[in-house]
Amino acid sequence: MTQILDQLEAARKLALSDGANYPNIIPGVLPIVGANSNANIEVRRWGADFLAEAFASPTWPPEVKESRALGVPESLKEYLEVVQDRAVIKSAILTAATIYPLIYRHTIADPNDSHTWQLMHAIKLNILQRMDAAPSGVRICCVKFLQQVVLTQTPGMVDPRRPDPNDTSLAILPRNHALLPYGNLEAEGHGLLDRMLDIIHGDHSDALLVTAVLNTLGILIQRRPIAANKILQSVLNFNPLKLANSPMTPKNRVIMKSLERTTRALLVNILKRNPENPHNGRIQQYLERMHRMRLDVFDESSRKRPAPAEPTDGLDAAKRQRLRANVPPAPTTVPVSAPPPATTLPPGPVTHRQLFTLTPDAGAAGFDVQAFTDPEQLVNLTVRLLQSVDESQLGKAINVVRSRYLNLTTTASGAPAASAPPPAPQPVVDDEEDYEPDFEPEDAEQVANSLDSLPPTDTLEPPSTSLAPYKLPEAPPLTEQEVRQYGEVSVRNAFGMLGSIDEKDKGKPTKVGFNRLAGSDYGRDSWITILSRLATRTSAGLDDPDEGVKDEFAVKNIKGNFSISDAVRDGLYTYIMYDWRKRIDIAISWLTEEWYNDNLLRHSAKIATKAGSLNGNTPSGIPATKGNYERCALRLIDGMLPFVEHTDKSLLRFISELPKLDHDILARLIKMSEDPERIDLSCKVLQYLHMFRPPVRSLVSDILLELWKVNHRARPSAGKLLKHYRPDVTLEDTNGASAGDGGEVKVEHTNGVIQQAS
Amino acid sequence: MSADPRLRSRAAAQQQQPTTVPPPPPPPPSESPYPAGLDGTSDVPAAKPAVDPRSSLRFCTVCASNQNRSMEAHLQLALANLPTISFGTGSLVRLPGPSITQPNVYHFNSTTYRQIHQELSQQNAQLYTANGLLNMLGRNLNIKGYPERFQDWVPGKSRLNDHKDDQGAAGTESGVVDVVITCEERCFDAVLEDLHNKGGKLNRPVHVFNVDIRDNHEEALVGGKAILDLALSLNEVAAREREIHGDNGWDRGSGSARDGFDERVPEILATWQGRWPNLPALWSLAWL
Repeated sequence: MTQILDQLEAARKLALSDGANYPNIIPGVLPIVGANSNANIEVRRWGADFLAEAFASPTWPPEVKESRALGVPESLKEYLEVVQDRAVIKSAILTAATIYPLIYRHTIADPNDSHTWQLMHAIKLNILQRMDAAPSGVRICCVKFLQQVVLTQTPGMVDPRRPDPNDTSLAILPRNHALLPYGNLEAEGHGLLDRMLDIIHGDHSDALLVTAVLNTLGILIQRRPIAANKILQSVLNFNPLKLANSPMTPKNRVIMKSLERTTRALLVNILKRNPENPHNGRIQQYLERMHRMRLDVFDESSRKRPAPAEPTDGLDAAKRQRLRANVPPAPTTVPVSAPPPATTLPPGPVTHRQLFTLTPDAGAAGFDVQAFTDPEQLVNLTVRLLQSVDESQLGKAINVVRSRYLNLTTTASGAPAASAPPPAPQPVVDDEEDYEPDFEPEDAEQVANSLDSLPPTDTLEPPSTSLAPYKLPEAPPLTEQEVRQYGEVSVRNAFGMLGSIDEKDKGKPTKVGFNRLAGSDYGRDSWITILSRLATRTSAGLDDPDEGVKDEFAVKNIKGNFSISDAVRDGLYTYIMYDWRKRIDIAISWLTEEWYNDNLLRHSAKIATKAGSLNGNTPSGIPATKGNYERCALRLIDGMLPFVEHTDKSLLRFISELPKLDHDILARLIKMSEDPERIDLSCKVLQYLHMFRPPVRSLVSDILLELWKVNHRARPSAGKLLKHYRPDVTLEDTNGASAGDGGEVKVEHTNGVIQQAS
Repeated sequence: MSADPRLRSRAAAQQQQPTTVPPPPPPPPSESPYPAGLDGTSDVPAAKPAVDPRSSLRFCTVCASNQNRSMEAHLQLALANLPTISFGTGSLVRLPGPSITQPNVYHFNSTTYRQIHQELSQQNAQLYTANGLLNMLGRNLNIKGYPERFQDWVPGKSRLNDHKDDQGAAGTESGVVDVVITCEERCFDAVLEDLHNKGGKLNRPVHVFNVDIRDNHEEALVGGKAILDLALSLNEVAAREREIHGDNGWDRGSGSARDGFDERVPEILATWQGRWPNLPALWSLAWL
């Protein structure tokens, strides 16, 4: 047999060295390996492989292949129907895929040769039958065969004036062919295409089949524009990450990634091949969506970390005990539904523990009270439990124990009394193992006893085996100066960090989902939030209420240990002023925090005052607390004003977004108007406020009025606004040229009396 | 591998007096079948199972320039007697030059490794010895003649005449492969895409894998071992499938019992990935 194989291999080498030898070699080989040869399995494998290789080879022309292919279907039919070897069958199917178009061409040219076409038809039926039931390794070969049939039996030809001689398609079939009915073949082609497309929407755990189909679609789209639409629709509805919902085994991971990648390669190939394709927009969208989905599915960094792998069973005794200890209510509720079963004691001598144990639950019975290393905790727990003990349950339980005890004493009357000590007066602590919350103390007196006897906790010693905890020697206490110094350094570090994040953050899209918290992503915004809260909240309420309000906007001279807030405030102020136009948002969020904190403090102060007045001891400073908001806001505005230009819309934004406006703040605008260039800006700000912040309307018009009075250059613009806002005020510009207070303002009351409003 | 720009003047100075530094001759063909690896260790494989190239799967390794990663893998597979060919998917062969903006560029399929070796050793022997390029080229010219481009490959075209002296040539005469292993996702995409362009005319299934390997000598060595591991695992399963034949119920079983080679590939890859978690893998069944 090896001799035959060697000869065959030599023939193959000959053909490989020159493709022109194939036409001579194939007829010589077929009788040895093909139908009716009764060759053994190795030879048949070789034969099937060789046929697949020979007809696929690009080294000899298709016309010659067509004539040589005629002898092959018979052998293929035998391979498929008789030989039960997977390798042979696979190769046979693949050969069939290669020769199908050849036989089709031959049949068109020679309508009288019905025999060959019938053989081919039988082969086709055989392959289609395998399509559903065969192992996937065979099915992928069937898919390839289907692809060739579809390619052959759909009309090709993009341009009928330039037929491609190598393209075997429905276009070369005459409508009135005797053997090949055009309509039937066309319908079959479409049907088989649907069958292929169904596969990619089916079970994805069989990635072999799905990627095999996806990788056959490229050439179909390329060569069969008539089917391209349908295929593309189907692919665009394909979800390569369908397995994302099934367990993420290593295999599924690989499969999903591979499916996604394969789909991408197919679509990118379509995009590149035909840049004018009307579907390209949709393909792009699909690719982007897939990309995002893949990130979602595979990107662990955005996920929560999984639950830590802890031993859930018995491995870590300490942990288990603690878990139990944290579930005190359970015993109080369980017995309500399940009365204590009067379990009988096992025959023979019994221990105290068995005598008192009523619960059938081995876990509860085996519970070791010594897990409570802290007697305080145990006492607390016991008292709570006693309060919730059901009286009838308790009575039943006592009866059960009593009857057990009586039984014992009667049966073991001969035994020494010491072996059965009276159970009732036993204090609980002496019987720690029997700790059973429901049935533990028998009456109030014993509760008292047990509580009395608890404090001597010698019995509750922690296990002596544990190592003593190692303690670092205590550091020497810091001096006040050092504290302040280190505090400042850390504040400076925090701002330094902010600066470096600024650099990094540029252009980086922020990913905000449901998980967003104020300070969760360590970006610029979260640091700002953290810092402004540090400034406002940390030491809030710790100030000495009697200290009073210091010099208004100065920060420097506030003494004391709470300068950390002010150090942070200083830092924020400098940070904002460094580039205030771009950092308006930071200023707003900081000031909002300040304002909110002030409100909180005021609220709690109010409550405290109420309580305090009840005690007849009204703290002096609290109602007067001025808060930090105003101080900081004014400081910021004063800092900005010198730099504001007359076109700066950022000032408008800043003022309008301030959480609270008052006279002091707006009065800064009057100050700004002293610069004639910026009068318009301040009027614009005021107008904006009037329009969009109704609560401050009256304040705005007051300010306008003031402006009108003190600044004659501002009169035209201010007057225009005032005319609308305060129609009740008559503005008399006695002398436009006179400086200062030349104008007069009169307020008309409804009754017509004119008052001097100065 | 990038050259230090501060050394450029030194490099130029050396170029001006080429006579002082004669280009070292290409290393002689290694006498041992297992030459020392790039890291100095000897790569003698530990008792490999005997592989018969005639019945083995046929492999193809692919990287960008068919120089470093694919050639390292090519060598390791060939040394294990696996039929192997190798390609690059780039438009040109790109090798690091004296600076990052001056790469050395060559054409695929025409410039031989020997020519490149000569040219570089004349250009600046010291630099290219230091960054390992000459060593790499010396290895490559013992493996095959010239870098080949995947996109220019005609599957099914006999390699009997042009490539019979390449290492790992035994078994690849017919110019088809069963497994393609790429070394970078970009190459994986390029291969899948190019196979669409080639149109699958051979009607032959081919398993395309990607094993992500960074492009430096050390990683290429590790990656080559990983690829060899993958190839041997695949080949073992494929060989087992060939043994099961005849009428012993190959398609009567159910479930995994009747799974052949093709079906088990995702599983093999997943297991392999467990062994090599740092080399992320992809896979697809494509058509030649």
